[in-house]
This record gives sequence, structure tokens and C-alpha cells, in this order.
Amino acid sequence: MKAMRLPPHVMLLLPAVILLAAVILFPLLLSLWSSFTPFRLTRPDSVWQFVGLRNYTRLAGDADFWVAFGRTVLLLTLALNLEMLFGLGLALLVERASRGQRVLRTILMFPMMFSPVLVGFQFKFMFNDNVGLVNNALQSLGLTDQAIPWLIDGKLAFIAILTAEIWSSTAVFAIFILAGLMAMPRDPLEAARVDGCTPWQTFRYVTWPFLMPFAFIAMTIRSLDVARAYDIITIMTDGGPAGRTEVLWTLIARTAYSDARMGIANAMAYVAILLSIAFTAIFFRQLAKARAQVAADW
Amino acid sequence: MDRNASARARKLTSRWALNLALFVAMAIICLPGFWIVLNSLRPTVEIMAKPPIWIPRELNFDAYVAMFSGVGQGGIPVLEYFRNSLIISVTSTIIALAIGMAGGYAFARYRFAYKSSWFLGFMLTRTVPGIALSLPLFFIYARLGIIDTHLGMILVYVALNVPFTIWLIDGFFRQVPRDLSEAAQIDGCTRWQAFWRVEFPLARPGIASAGIFAFLTSWNEFALASQLTRSTGSKTLPVGLLDYTAEFTIDWRGMCALAVVMIIPALLLTYAVQKHLVSGLTSGAIKG
Amino acid sequence: MANLTFDALEKSYGGYHAVKGIDLDVRDGEFVALVGPSGCGKSTTLRMIAGLEEISGGEIRIADKRVNDLPPRDRNISMVFQSYALYPHMTVRENMGFTLKIAGCSKAEIDEAALNAARVLEIEPLLDRRPAQLSGGQRQRVAMGRAIVRDPDVFLFDEPLSNLDAKLRGQMRTEIKRLHARLGTTIVYVTHDQVEAMTLADRIVIMKEGRIEQVGTPDQVFNHPATQFVAGFIGSPPMNMVPAKVAGGALWFEDGTELPLPAAFEELSDGHEVIFGLRPDDIYPEGHGLDAGTGDIVNLQLTVDLSEPLGNETLLFIRFAGAEWTARMLNPRNVARGERLNFRIDMARVHLFDAATGCSLGRQ
Ligand SMILES: Nc1ncnc2c1ncn2[C@@H]1O[C@H](COP(=O)(O)OP(=O)(O)OP(=O)(O)O)[C@@H](O)[C@H]1O
Ligand SMILES: [Mg+2]
Repeated sequence: MKAMRLPPHVMLLLPAVILLAAVILFPLLLSLWSSFTPFRLTRPDSVWQFVGLRNYTRLAGDADFWVAFGRTVLLLTLALNLEMLFGLGLALLVERASRGQRVLRTILMFPMMFSPVLVGFQFKFMFNDNVGLVNNALQSLGLTDQAIPWLIDGKLAFIAILTAEIWSSTAVFAIFILAGLMAMPRDPLEAARVDGCTPWQTFRYVTWPFLMPFAFIAMTIRSLDVARAYDIITIMTDGGPAGRTEVLWTLIARTAYSDARMGIANAMAYVAILLSIAFTAIFFRQLAKARAQVAADW
Repeated sequence: MDRNASARARKLTSRWALNLALFVAMAIICLPGFWIVLNSLRPTVEIMAKPPIWIPRELNFDAYVAMFSGVGQGGIPVLEYFRNSLIISVTSTIIALAIGMAGGYAFARYRFAYKSSWFLGFMLTRTVPGIALSLPLFFIYARLGIIDTHLGMILVYVALNVPFTIWLIDGFFRQVPRDLSEAAQIDGCTRWQAFWRVEFPLARPGIASAGIFAFLTSWNEFALASQLTRSTGSKTLPVGLLDYTAEFTIDWRGMCALAVVMIIPALLLTYAVQKHLVSGLTSGAIKG
Repeated sequence: MANLTFDALEKSYGGYHAVKGIDLDVRDGEFVALVGPSGCGKSTTLRMIAGLEEISGGEIRIADKRVNDLPPRDRNISMVFQSYALYPHMTVRENMGFTLKIAGCSKAEIDEAALNAARVLEIEPLLDRRPAQLSGGQRQRVAMGRAIVRDPDVFLFDEPLSNLDAKLRGQMRTEIKRLHARLGTTIVYVTHDQVEAMTLADRIVIMKEGRIEQVGTPDQVFNHPATQFVAGFIGSPPMNMVPAKVAGGALWFEDGTELPLPAAFEELSDGHEVIFGLRPDDIYPEGHGLDAGTGDIVNLQLTVDLSEPLGNETLLFIRFAGAEWTARMLNPRNVARGERLNFRIDMARVHLFDAATGCSLGRQ
């Protein structure tokens, strides 16, 4: 037994590696394979029929797919940036509140506890054209006398989805940036005020450089989990009506489970996976840079 | 003199504007939750009323009673869903913690080749969208016969939680000075004893929050659960929520009630971890 | 450059009164040191001048203009922080040029000013480093450099040298003095090191529990302390203080020892309870003191309990009148424990304080 003693870190990492290989990597290889086949759930033996890049070339020429792809990227870019902006604002507001910090921080985390499905239902309810809170409020305030078709019109539905997404995930940014604000040394801030900075300049030249790595951590964590937007969308509109809010993930689910066209769905899934990895890898790189910077300076 | 007065006036107005902004932001955050609770207590006619009824005339627990009164009486098998959710979440959390603790410790305490690449690799497995993962898993699980079982869900949730648990626990172990374990070893502990007697107790609050975070992820997950579970015997609460939707109608009241049931455990647990969660995730970043 | 006035200045934190009404006039170009024990409100006062702390009551005027509600940037002050408060993500050059950059100066002007300041403080080779790559003393210089690049009305220093080792502290002290001589700007300098205060300041403000105990030149606060507190605070080693009572034209200590009442205090009535104060310099073995030159000397045969040689002088600890006294021996020789020496007390330099109020009873 002593003869084949592995180094301790290998022993410690082994369970994680085995598990992830079995439950994530192996299935992904399988789905990579099946993305080269015309696999249909209804015809199991079709999984052995190799068709090369046919699924991918078909995707490349599929306008619906590219629209969904573009919409996904747009949604993510808008959502992540707006969440960062709102999170920053919220964190700054909470940080300067003199009383009730603890309560405020708890309220801030509130949306994080909600399952994305729940967020979906909640906003589906609130944006419902007939009984929803939003239309009720707009009508009662006399701002409009019509029922605005929030979830039926393509643009409005996109806005409604974006709202739900932002509501549910801004907290991640707010909390990390708040942690950064609280860890920040006070003296440089005061020095900046004495040096003649306006509040905005203090923020721009002193506070923000310090907060940046915290914002990147939040970005990275968010990017690990961007696909949870699927839960929200699938509940709120399920890509509809008539594909007007279709994103990659809803398209995959529809192609795979409703149309049972697993092969092409797997090809789409691979594109979605690469997209997610690209988002995460970008932020991880930024994070590593910011991390080195902070370790050296602060 | 007037320079002082105007400086003071400006300070006061900006203070009030910012307080107002804070209040509005908090209201927006709270509103949806409040709306759900309120509507779970109102009769359906009031929810559907046109013009809308703003001040509730009647509040009751009918929705909750109906929900628990079982299938056939307008209820759904909520107790079964609750039990499934609990079994799957708790088991997968415990296993993910054990695996994550080993991995996190390795990252925090050992040097090895390509360490940061390994770390990135682990994290990237987390980025795989649930729906994309569900396609091959659906096929494999069907072959293995573990589709629609607790075991299948537990396995995939452990895999889902391990990367993030490693990140968190790595952060917490970094906060425990290396000297402490070395001192304990000089005092006569083995490395194993030093871990359990010194490092583990110090990192415990952080490990607990990693656990709660893993629990919440499993508790709230939908994309995989909706494809890999089918029957009352394994469906979890997020999937159960769909029972309230029919082809063209939604029982808003019943769904709000179920949502409240779902959110309460999450609420309590999140409140318990709020302090530690952030420190674990950031410490790795700040201390390199 | 400008004068600086406090008018009944107050500060309270919630219920806690940190500064309890202080009045002070700092003249244009004057160097004023604020000293006092920890927690007496020095930093609070300084931060109120800077505008970093709200003023709870009274008024601050810089150049005769009320500044109570002005934000720091409108007060034209510079400040050196105890922790230096350098911006960690900026180089030394950027740190020093920052205030000018904010003021909207051109790049050339900024570089010029930073270079000048660096030259004055001899840190030119460090201009492109970041604070994390500097030693404590170097950071201190950068912090000073940052303060002098601008031409402020008032310089504020909050214990700027307290993080340095003894040698470096002495060096920087001289440097600050030179800087003041050169720039002639009004300076308010907080310290708890009385040597710094004595050597640097034109006037010293001694604070205690949020109030001013005495304001005066180094000579005044040393030779004419207004209160027992000031007498004990200024001077090292501290003044010997022993309770006594006036009776029949003499001072009686608690153990029955008698000393003649110095001429300056002859009006004190019998039975007055006082604190007898005498600096270690004014009690010394014969032939080892300063040449006092007054005729009013008392000679005593006393036993040395302990001696502390310091090289150029030796501190002797002796028992007298039921208390332990410190005496200072200049031009020292070896003194054995238990040796009996003839000590001289210069009665003209005795301080008496009212035992009840702690106020000085004369020699003002
Ligand atoms: N933000 C605050 N809230 C409440 N009390 C405070 C605050 N800041 C200072 N104090 C109190 O005010 C008093 C004066 O503090 P200050 O910092 O001015 O002391 P200091 O004279 O500078 O002491 P040190 O020599 O230790 O720096 C102290 O008792 C301190 O506890
Ligand atoms: Mg202080």
C-alpha cells in the first residue's frame, strides 16, 4: 500500500476530479459525439450514424438560431452591465446609511434567495396584462387606459425579462461591492477630500480602483451561472410568443425535448457552452489581474 | 458667510435625495415578495377583479389549506415535493461539502503544477448551462435506469456544487494562517490531527456557509430537475410549481402559496450565512 | 498663508463630548503644536479644521473667513496623516501630483511641482515607485511631499512621525523645522511627543479631556506651567510632585519634613494645602548641577536608592520627605547604591500648586 502512495494534493483532489469527469465531462463528450449524429430520441440507433459537421453547417445557416444567439448575447451584456451599475449604486447608498446597516444588507440579499423559477413566476404575474401589478398600477394612476401586452409584444417581453433578471441578480454585485467598500481603508478617502476632490472625483480616482477586484469577483460568479436566466425565461415566455423572446437555452430545450431532435440540439448546446466558457474565462482573467494588483498595492 | 450657507444647503439636499433613493431601491427589492405573500392570502376573485382592488377586503389561508389537502381536492402533492427537495438537497450538500473540503484544502495549502489552470478548469465545469447538460444526462440516466430517481438528482447536484464549494472553502482556509497548523504539528499533532483540531474549527463558519450555499443551489435548481424528474416520487418543489399551470390558465393564488412555502427555508438559511459568504469568496481574491 | 481662529469650538459624538469649547488664535505663519494625553481630542480638533469632521458648536475661521460648513476642498489646507494615507494604486509622482491634477493644472505644471517637492525632500529616485515599495521613512517623506506641492493656507499634521523609529524621527523633526523656516506657512501639528512639540513649535497648546489647559511658548509651558497637569506633562523625566502644607512660614511634608517657604510664596496663608513641584534638574548632587546662580539653596544629605546612567547624565532616585524623587546629575561619575551625597535644592525654582484646584500658585 505504501508503494503506491500518491502526493497528498492529488489524493485530496481525486474525488472532485472523478466526480466531475463522470457527471460533467463524460456527458459532454457524449453530447459532443451526438452533435455529429442525426440522433433522435424516437430512433435510438441513429446515435451511431456519423454525419460529420452537418448539424453545425445547418446551424450556421439557420436564421432562427442566430437570432436567438444574438438575443442571448444582448441579454447577457445588457443584464451584466446594468446589474453592475445598479449594484454599485445600491452598495454606495447602503454604505453611507448611518443606521440599520444590518437590516439593509439583509434586504439586499433578499432576491438571491428566490429560485429563478420563482422569479419567473413572480414577474410573469406582475407583468400579466390582465391581473398584473404593473398594468393595474399604470391604469389606476391614469397613465394608460389600455392593458399593455408586456409579455406578448417582443420588445416589451424582452424588457420584462431583463427586469426580472436584473431584479434577481443585482444583489450579487451589490453585496460584493459593499464588502469592498467596507474593507476599504478610510485614510486615503480623507486624504483625497483634503487634496480637493469632489465626491465624484474621490470615487473615480480612489474608491473605484479599490473596488474593481470586488466587482470582478461578482462578475465572475455571475458569469458562472448566467444560464439560470433559462429558468426565468422558460417560465415567463418560454421563448414565445412565436419565438419573439427565444434565447439559446429555450431553443435547445424546445429542439431536444419537444421536437426530439437531440443531435442538432447538442450542437446548439455546444455553442451555448462555449459562449458561457468565453464569458467566464474573460472575467477570470480580469480577476487574476485585479487580484495581483490588489495584492501588490493595498 | 453665504458660502457656508449654500454649502450646508447643498449637503442637506443631497443627503435627502440619497435617502429617498435608498428607500425607493429597497421598496423595489421588497415589492415582489410582498406581492406574492399578499396574493397567497387573497381569494381568487379579488386577484382577478377589474378594476383592481388595492386594499384587500378579505385575507384567509384557504390557499394553504387547499394545497395541503392533497391531490383531488384541488391540492398538489406538496408534501411529497417538499420531501424530495429536502432529501435531494441535504444529501447532495453533505457529499459536495466533503468533496469540496478536500479540494479546497488542497488549493489553499499545497503548491502544485498548473494550479491556477486546475482551478479555472473546475470553475469552467460550473459554467455548463443546465439545459445543455441535461441532454446527455437524460440519455445516460435513461440507460442506467436512474432517471426520475433521487440518486440521479443527487449525483448531478453534487457535481454542480463541487466547483463553487471548492472556491469558497479554499478562501476560508486561506484565512486560517498556515502557522497555526505548523505550530500544532510541532506541538505533536499529525497533519491530520492538526487539520481537525486547529484548521477545521477555525474555518467552520465558512464551511457552514458553503454548505448552505450548496443547499440553496440544489433547492432552487430547475433546468435539470425539470428534465430529469417526472413523477411525484422525485419531483422537487421548483418543478412542482408548474402543477399550478394548465394550458391556458394559471392558479395565481395557489402558486403564490407554494412560492411562500418554498421561500421560507431559503430565507432563513440565507440570513444565517450572509456574514460569511462574502468573506470566503473575496479572501482568495484579496490575498492572492 | 493665513491665520486661524477657534471660537468656542465644540465637538460631540452622540452623547460623548470630545471637544468642550476651545478658543485659540493661531497667527499667520505660526507653528502651533497640540499636545495632550491619548484621547484628549487632538485629532478631533485637527479634523474639524480640515473639514473631515462636522463642527458641533462654535466657529473656525481661516484667514478671518468662517469655514464651518465648507467641504475640505474649499478650505485650502494640506494634511499629513499618521498612517500617511498614500494612494496605494498611484506612483509617488502621481500621489504628489494628485491634488494639482484635481485642481486642473496642466501636465507640465504637475510634473514640475512633483519634481520640486521630491527635490526638497530628497526622494527623486523614488518618483516612479508605488507606496508598497517604500520604507516607512520614505512613505513619510512622500506624505509630506504631497502636502507641500500645493501652496495651502494651513498645514495640518496628525502625529506624522509616530510610526518611525527613534533615529528617523529625530531626522524628520529637523526636516520639518527646516521646511517651516523655508515655507513660512501656518502649521498645526498634533503630537503626543513633547520633545517634538518643544523643539518644533512656536507655541504649544496643552489639551486635557477636550479642554485647553495652557497655551504658551515652549519656555512658558516648561518654566511657568499653569497647572499641575501641565507641569507633569511637559518635561522628561517628569517633575517631582509631593503634597505639603504651609505653616509658620515653612512647608511641611506629610512625614514631618520641613523646608523653608520660597520667597515668591510668602503671602500664602497658614494651613494652605499645596503640591510641591520640583524638576529633576533643580535637585542635584553638589557640583553636578546647572549653574543656577540664585542664592536660595537648601542643602540635604540624602541616600541614593538607584541610579540610571544615560551617558551624558545620570538619573538618581532618592527618598526624601516620604516620597521617591528623581534628581538629575550632570557630568556624572559612578554612584554606588546606598551612597550618601550632598544634594542641593534650588528653592527659587520650586513650583507650588493648589492641592484642590491644581492651579499654579505664582511664578506666572
Ligand atoms: N467617531 C467617533 N465616535 C465616537 N467617539 C469618538 C470618535 N472619534 C473619536 N472619539 C472619541 O473622542 C475622543 C477624542 O479622540 P481623538 O481622536 O481626538 O483623540 P487624540 O487626542 O487624537 O488621541 P490620540 O493621541 O490617541 O490620537 C476620544 O475619547 C475618542 O474615543
Ligand atoms: Mg489622534
